[in-house]
Amino acid sequence: MIERDDAVAYIAKLERDLQAAQSRIAALEREAELHARYARDLDRRLAALLSVSAALLISHDIEAIIKLVVQQAVELFPGTANAHIYLIENEQDCRLRLRASAPEHAPAPAFSVLAEMAAKAPRALLLSGPELEYVIHQQHTAHPLSIEDCLWPQSVLLAPLRIEQQRLGALVICGEQLSHLYHPRDLPFVQALADLTVIAIDEVQQRQRAAALQRDLVHTQSLRAEAEARLNAAQAQLLQSAKLAAVGELSASVAHEINNPLYAARNSLYLVEQDLPPDAPQRTFLAIAQQELGRIARIITRMRDFYRPSRGELTSANINALLRETLELVTTHLRHNHVTVRTRLANDLPPIVAHADQLRQVFLNVILNACDAMPSGGELTVSSELIAARAGAPATLAISITDTGVGIAPEHIPHLFEPFYTTKPHGTGLGLAISAHIVTQHGGRITVDSQPGVGTTFTILLPLEPPVTAS
Amino acid sequence: MAAYRIQIYDDDPTAALVTQRGLQALLGDEVIVQATTNANEAWLACANGNVDLLIVDPSPYGAAAALIRAVRTYRPYLPILALTAYDTPGLRARMQALGVELYAAKPIELRELAPLVSQALHQVV
Repeated sequence: MIERDDAVAYIAKLERDLQAAQSRIAALEREAELHARYARDLDRRLAALLSVSAALLISHDIEAIIKLVVQQAVELFPGTANAHIYLIENEQDCRLRLRASAPEHAPAPAFSVLAEMAAKAPRALLLSGPELEYVIHQQHTAHPLSIEDCLWPQSVLLAPLRIEQQRLGALVICGEQLSHLYHPRDLPFVQALADLTVIAIDEVQQRQRAAALQRDLVHTQSLRAEAEARLNAAQAQLLQSAKLAAVGELSASVAHEINNPLYAARNSLYLVEQDLPPDAPQRTFLAIAQQELGRIARIITRMRDFYRPSRGELTSANINALLRETLELVTTHLRHNHVTVRTRLANDLPPIVAHADQLRQVFLNVILNACDAMPSGGELTVSSELIAARAGAPATLAISITDTGVGIAPEHIPHLFEPFYTTKPHGTGLGLAISAHIVTQHGGRITVDSQPGVGTTFTILLPLEPPVTAS
Repeated sequence: MAAYRIQIYDDDPTAALVTQRGLQALLGDEVIVQATTNANEAWLACANGNVDLLIVDPSPYGAAAALIRAVRTYRPYLPILALTAYDTPGLRARMQALGVELYAAKPIELRELAPLVSQALHQVV
């Protein structure tokens, strides 16, 4: 009997043990299932974060990045009603502005309080239940909350968007009302999402900054090149005009110093000549000496005129004779440069009233320029003719000087007659300027027609009588 | 008729000599030409009253301006001829301002200078 009772008790014990074991098994099974769910959950989140980071890497636009992040946040945390990103608009007052929401509708105004709190936080925060409500009421005493405002989510996840010491904004994720509470283990994920976002935003900003700097650099470099070119031009011009001023001043002072000895020499010769008998053999060389001294006197006057405008005498001049004289003067120079000269001078040209010396200077300048334009030789054509624009109009002399040289580039043509404009490394830029001045003083015009590679023609038009002001 | 007296002041002695000899040769017995490189000497000659024409070289290094001012003050009617190697429009204007009515620029030839001088002398009454 006792044995049977013992057996019954033993069986009952075994049954209890069995039950306990079964319940433990059930508990373990539940736990295993829970772990499996966590594992799946973690896998899912990891995959989501990885895809976010991959997407952020290739995205070059801040708007696209933050939109992607809020969408992914809703996916990443089950039970999320909506997610928002606020960014700091300007760094002085740290004012936050809502920049992206998912789903796309504006959150309650009081959410900005949460955003501010998140932006100032060092790490991600989880707020839920009464704690959340307390925070909102604390911050919002100035503005009483409306009924809708009071329909609070049970919990929110907040994360600051910051890189190093710089605050960029905040990420706010809200759970569905009355349904879901976030768990503290969500915090590393929300922090990771926020960090990813911030890195992506920062990279875009750095890239924009780099592009802006690059543009600035290019701009600055071009400005610098331009300024350098201008400086060089100005320096060259300054040097040129300083040289000219020095030459002018020197020649003027030399001219003046020479005048006294010249005066004494030529007049002494004159006095000697007065005492000689008319048939004295010395007269020949005396005359040469006097003639040459006269030439010195004229050169001195020219040197002085380099510094101040000439006041030469108007005389009746033969243009053809002037042209021949000028050509004779440069015959050697032209031959030396393998330049052949052709002349087409019209017969029976009427004499012209002009400053002969000055016109000679004009012809000389233009002919020497033509010679310079033919470094490997060529042909120089000098022609003169009488033209009348129309019947009854005052007659005009046209002198053309044509070379078969390198020609003048079109961009130089408008500046040819400007003083100090020169394309020659050793030019003064004065020859054509002075020439144009002289021709204008005579009431005439000087024109140029040039074709690069073919040659250049300078045409000088002179009225037979200069205007009254020219004298 | 007494000869006209011409006083030359030129701080270049050679130029002074040539002007003196030249004018003397060209104008002959009609004139007595004296030259000096000393402004004071020229001034004394003018002040003594025996000068009919003063020829001055207003060189920037000489005392011509002072001489001209002094002569203009004490002998307002004495004709003065400026004969300069430093001809510029500025000098011409300055000479006019000082009351110098005659002006010639070196290296003028003597045969051009002589008529100028002779004309100036004959205007003196």
